[in-house]
Amino acid sequence: MSDHSAAADPKTAHIQHHFVDSDQQFDSAKLGMWIFLVTEILFFGGLFAAYIVYRAWYPDLYLQASTELNTFWGAVNTAVLIGSSLTVAMAIRSAQLNQIKGLIYNLYITIGLAFVFMVIKFFEYTHKFEKGIFPGEYYTYEGIAHEKANIFFSIYYMMTGVHGLHVTIGIGLMIWLVVKAKKGVFHSGYYTPVEITGLYWHLVDIIWIFLFPLLYLID
Amino acid sequence: MSGHHISSAKFLWTIGAALFVLTVITVAVTWIHIPGPWNVVVAILVALIKATIVALFFMNLYWDDKFNLLLLFLSVAFFILMIGITLLDTLFRDDPVPAF
Repeated sequence: MSDHSAAADPKTAHIQHHFVDSDQQFDSAKLGMWIFLVTEILFFGGLFAAYIVYRAWYPDLYLQASTELNTFWGAVNTAVLIGSSLTVAMAIRSAQLNQIKGLIYNLYITIGLAFVFMVIKFFEYTHKFEKGIFPGEYYTYEGIAHEKANIFFSIYYMMTGVHGLHVTIGIGLMIWLVVKAKKGVFHSGYYTPVEITGLYWHLVDIIWIFLFPLLYLID
Repeated sequence: MSGHHISSAKFLWTIGAALFVLTVITVAVTWIHIPGPWNVVVAILVALIKATIVALFFMNLYWDDKFNLLLLFLSVAFFILMIGITLLDTLFRDDPVPAF
């Protein structure tokens, strides 16, 4: 049992009274995050299910429509997200080693890479909007000889859009982490928010690892 | 239970480099035009390897409490169940989609 009289000690100030010790609190938080990630996987799973069902129905549509997606920028964005996963892992490592400057720098790089991802996505979207490639009934593009062409792009916008929303939320979380790190909240004994945001960020990366070949790389 | 595994910087960079190489491979595979359904199989296989690497070594499941790994397995199992049961319907319809 932890000694509650030592609660004023900054090294143990983060421990809440209903936990036995710092490790139990850390593992509980991680377990909670993993349960949340399970709901995230099943949430995206519904979108992947839609993708699979329609691909089974209209295989030719996917072959034709994916030529409208630029493989080069998709690959660049994959590399950008992998790089940001690496910097998040490095940020956690810095926190574990009490290197708060390193933690903040790695978070800055991660935020920067996340913005690069979103900017590339913005140009991809606007390029399609200019051609009249909108989701669902707003689709007006004539360049794909398939009557169901709008369906591919409804799925494309939904999957990449919800993924992009997650990246945006991730940017917000990283900024929150930087603010907390600058206040000196984190040290090698307490970096739970960094660890947990890292788990979230890696999952967002994993989702994109599947989206990239499934949407861009159909030849 | 060891939720505090600290990876060396060299190890993390190696994992990042491996993921980058696999990304190059998954793009390069499309240039040689593998026929039929096999191009999808290869693309999914590479993506699965990448996702496994991220989960084990970036999300630290390799060193973590195995219960977290079990949660991941369960989510994947239920995802496959959802896809499987859905396809049992949609693959065997006479008239694919009513409205759209």
